[in-house]
Amino acid sequence: MGLRSKDLSFLQPENAAEDDVMDPHSEEEESEFESESEQEDVKLMEPSKTAVYNREGLVEKLEDISWPENVDWMHKLSLDINHEKEVDVNDDLARELAFYTQALEGTRLAFDKFQSMGLPFLRPPDYYAEMVKTDAHMQKVKGKLLAQKKQIEEAEERRKARESKRIAKEVQAEKLKERAKQKKQEIEEVKKWRKQRQQSGFKDGKDSMPDLGFGEGKTFERSSKKRPEVPPGDRSGGKAKQGGGKGNLKNKKNREFRDSKFGFGGRKGMKKQNTAETTNDFRAFNKGSVAGNKKRKR
Amino acid sequence: MGKKRKHSETQAIEPKKKDEGAPERPKRTLMGWKDKKEVHKQPDSNPESNPQVFRNKEKVMVTCSRRINYRYRHLMLNLVSLLPHCKKDNKVESKSSKGSTLNELIELRGCSSALFFECRKNRDLYMWMASCPNGPSVKFLVNAVHTMEELKLTGNHLKGSRPLMTFSSNFEKDAHWKLLKEMIMQIFGTPKEHRKSKPYHDHVFVFSIVDDHIWFRNYQISVPHNESEKMVRGGLDKMTLVEVGPRFCLNPIKIFAGSFGGPTLYENPFYVSPNQIRALEKRKKAGKYAKKVKAKTRRKMHEQSNPLEPDEFADMWKE
Repeated sequence: MGLRSKDLSFLQPENAAEDDVMDPHSEEEESEFESESEQEDVKLMEPSKTAVYNREGLVEKLEDISWPENVDWMHKLSLDINHEKEVDVNDDLARELAFYTQALEGTRLAFDKFQSMGLPFLRPPDYYAEMVKTDAHMQKVKGKLLAQKKQIEEAEERRKARESKRIAKEVQAEKLKERAKQKKQEIEEVKKWRKQRQQSGFKDGKDSMPDLGFGEGKTFERSSKKRPEVPPGDRSGGKAKQGGGKGNLKNKKNREFRDSKFGFGGRKGMKKQNTAETTNDFRAFNKGSVAGNKKRKR
Repeated sequence: MGKKRKHSETQAIEPKKKDEGAPERPKRTLMGWKDKKEVHKQPDSNPESNPQVFRNKEKVMVTCSRRINYRYRHLMLNLVSLLPHCKKDNKVESKSSKGSTLNELIELRGCSSALFFECRKNRDLYMWMASCPNGPSVKFLVNAVHTMEELKLTGNHLKGSRPLMTFSSNFEKDAHWKLLKEMIMQIFGTPKEHRKSKPYHDHVFVFSIVDDHIWFRNYQISVPHNESEKMVRGGLDKMTLVEVGPRFCLNPIKIFAGSFGGPTLYENPFYVSPNQIRALEKRKKAGKYAKKVKAKTRRKMHEQSNPLEPDEFADMWKE
């Protein structure tokens, strides 16, 4: 019965030029009753019309193998879910969603049935038994999920940092502008006041002092941050101890660093090192690190 | 069928599920003698009818051919772990595999169905689903295989728990789909009081027909357990499904009336064998070089027949 299809198989390349996923035209049109049809369109993507379809035989076999009618549903555990819309095979997301909803509906129906029969359905949380995937495998899964999550978080953080940096820059620019403006304003005010005073001939007393906010405004407060103690014998101007091994590389190009080294005549100027004040001053030495054998190379 | 009739209360074993009239003897289960209770409960019901003594004795033999790919072998092993009522057998030789050898093997192991994975050219996987003694058999082409080992399939469930099987409604549309549905239900459904089956139901199978292919998915039912009782009542709405795998897509090729042979009952008209697909593609590509050569000669002829006018500026830079 299947021989006919072989005859026509060499003609198939002209008909069907693609893989298994073909147009699902209605199957009814090609299914004949226990015989092969001879029609054979040379259209592309048309199903081969010589397929066997023995409906009677199929129904007979179905009756042969199927379980008796009055078998309890508990043996079968099968659920039929309504499937209305056609899902496009190539749209992965829609397809998987369709499968998911089918499963979800099926589970809900089954849950209802089980509840009505009073049988246990879900696994209780303290029931431990062999699972289909080993614990080691699940650890790997967990590791992968965590790594993914971390990646996402890092990307988020990087993005946020970039944004905040940009914003901070803007804010800083604003602040500087503000300060400059403020400074200018104050200078203008003083000039104006001077001019005023000049014009009115220095005859007024202290009445027309410009209020530059000396009285009410806050007094100058020294910042309580402690600056690093620099010993008097230090030639580098306090820059030697700054930073660590890593910080040094950056600091070498600093304006400040270079200033301290070369600016204003540089450090090589004649400066007394051993004076009366520095005899007992040990701030310049490393605290406690010269204990032990000095000769040993550190 | 030649079985001795015992005392009217006890009943003889049902040979296969087909023999509907034979009375049966009480079944021995893990819980003790099951049927006595049922006979007590329904004393007046007909002891000849099956419902109280139907016992699913399905056993599936799972084998593969030699030279099977690693991915398909893992798929087979995944299926073995999903079906506690299966028996895994050694690889069979590819040449002598059709027909009689496989049937004999099935008889030998005492199984009633079989799943046979045949891998050709190390690339295509064909799956045979057959019902042993004289039942129908189907040959499928398997596509889109994802095994349980893939880390993106994160679910997990009890090994051997009975699955809930959902079928989409297009299985009722045609005779061959109905037959396939019945076969799938019998092969993939774990028998009720099987030795290796575990109690609760925590996974769902999805069999769905899309584009004339049967798609298989396996999901774990997970409910957030904030209550410690067994049946989470309020949790029905918060029930989610996590995919456990494996995943595959079956394309039915042919249905035979006998086991691994016999007259063809159904042939898929849309089926194109993967060899043919590959041949077509190669033929498409093969024309490329010939076309290129032809195009070159054509260009040459064209140039010869229409000579260019001598360029005015050709001598501009010459010394």
